[in-house]
Amino acid sequence: MKRPLLILVGAVVLGAAIFAGAFLTGQRTSRLVQEQPADDLNWLRLEFHVGDAELARIRTLHEGYLPQCAATCREIADKKRELEAAGGDGTNLTAAAQLKLQELDQLRARCRAQMLRYFTTVSQAMPPEEGRRYLEKMRALTSATQTQMEQSMSGDASHERHP
Amino acid sequence: MKDNSDSNNARLSALLRAARPAPALPPRFQENVWRRIEAAPAPAAAHWLERLAAWILRPRHALATAALLLLAGVMLGAHEGSLAVRQDAQARYLANFMLDSLR
Repeated sequence: MKRPLLILVGAVVLGAAIFAGAFLTGQRTSRLVQEQPADDLNWLRLEFHVGDAELARIRTLHEGYLPQCAATCREIADKKRELEAAGGDGTNLTAAAQLKLQELDQLRARCRAQMLRYFTTVSQAMPPEEGRRYLEKMRALTSATQTQMEQSMSGDASHERHP
Repeated sequence: MKDNSDSNNARLSALLRAARPAPALPPRFQENVWRRIEAAPAPAAAHWLERLAAWILRPRHALATAALLLLAGVMLGAHEGSLAVRQDAQARYLANFMLDSLR
């Protein structure tokens, strides 16, 4: 009775070792083959099957867009600092703070519009079906960020419970 | 001459038979034999653990199981690695757009 049990335990341990070894080898090999840590655009190649020629066009667009994006982000960060400075004593919203708030909203809207324009242009450089999929995904991600912000500002569903 | 020899052989055979008498079988001998055969306990069935251990130890089964585990491990690992690479690549791509600025 003891010997068969030992055989079974040994077989289970050996089987688990074989499986774990194979799993780790497969995982590492897959990472080595697909990973290109230096390339920001590798995701487009992996997820949307973009070819070399299309990727070169997208890279040009990407490199053209990034400075615009960074400039707008800097403006937004500056405007946030200005808003904080114009906050007054913290109990009343001053006219200056309201103005800064409006300007901040305008900057965010401009940033979002720039981003959507860029995503649309990139999607047009992809094969049609993949381009549609890319655009849907990027729109969803952008609007998810917007929704998150709105939810955090509105206190989630509390307004729905007490209209 | 030949007739004489034949009659001698027959007599010799009869003498030998008489010298080694076959014992009489007890009554209902055959029936009792069958009854004892039927009443004998069947050989004990092996425990399931022993049967499983014996099955595992067969080279053909051991090799097939090992090959299956190897294949399943490599395939699942490759799939998992591929997903992780995509997630990392997506995070890297999205980091370019500083989506936090929109918050």
